[in-house]
Amino acid sequence: MIEFAVFFFFAAIAVIFALVVILHRNTVVGALSLVASFFALAVMYVLLDAPFLAALQVIVYAGAIMVLFLFVIMLLNLQHVSEPATRPIQQFLGYAGSAFFGIALVYYLVKYTVLQLPPGPFLSDARAIGVALFEAYIFPFEMVSILLLAAIVGALLLSARRGVIPSRKDGEEPPARATRGSLATLGMTEEGPLP
Amino acid sequence: MIPTSWFLILSAILFTIGVCGFLTRKNGITMFMCVELMVNAVNLTFLAYARQFHQLHGLIFVFFVMAIAAAEAAVGLAIFISLFHHRETIDVDEANLMRW
Repeated sequence: MIEFAVFFFFAAIAVIFALVVILHRNTVVGALSLVASFFALAVMYVLLDAPFLAALQVIVYAGAIMVLFLFVIMLLNLQHVSEPATRPIQQFLGYAGSAFFGIALVYYLVKYTVLQLPPGPFLSDARAIGVALFEAYIFPFEMVSILLLAAIVGALLLSARRGVIPSRKDGEEPPARATRGSLATLGMTEEGPLP
Repeated sequence: MIPTSWFLILSAILFTIGVCGFLTRKNGITMFMCVELMVNAVNLTFLAYARQFHQLHGLIFVFFVMAIAAAEAAVGLAIFISLFHHRETIDVDEANLMRW
């Protein structure tokens, strides 16, 4: 019985904070609400007998990805930028279309998805996941590590301003320029944004 | 034990909220957060079915989805930083260079 109370309480928290994310105009409030929603989802993972993934959800999503979002929001000073209003036709189509989609999805799930309860508790500790990951899924695991490396390089290249990474032609430029450029990347320059 | 369908319905609601936010907002970072919301809703579905059928594959898939979401967040936010440096805004309507 307590299980059902926990489910409904945290399901309500997840849905309410998700609504705050899409309805609030302030980006910082949205990001923090998304963190709260992810914590509620971690509770859902515990209810689904996956405590290891609940820990991963808290550490990776709430701890790393959302901190990256907040860091970018504060780096770009977006908490004071007011968002222009969406076109009315886009707003109407967005709300109507997604409401139709959601109602149809929930209707389908309620009416046609008949699932018996699973026979017993599902044993999915970190050991079982690790054995599966490093035996059956070793090739996708290595692919993901290469993907993460590519993402690191891509993020560095994309977010660097011109002049931070010296090209071959002006390779004899003193490193002072690189230092100034990287300060500019952090928003610490005093002459304002570069053209 | 909570029925699997309830988790699926919660996942459907969260996914719909994510779709709605993605369609109606113009702030690029908020749209990105809506994508993360949709990814998490799908993760919940994976875990619900993993418990339903007593299979580890759903859990492994959630693991990979988390890793790819991290990579996607890093590259996407770098794109927004670059866009902000060029246009002084992250309004996605302003990024219309390659638009028809």
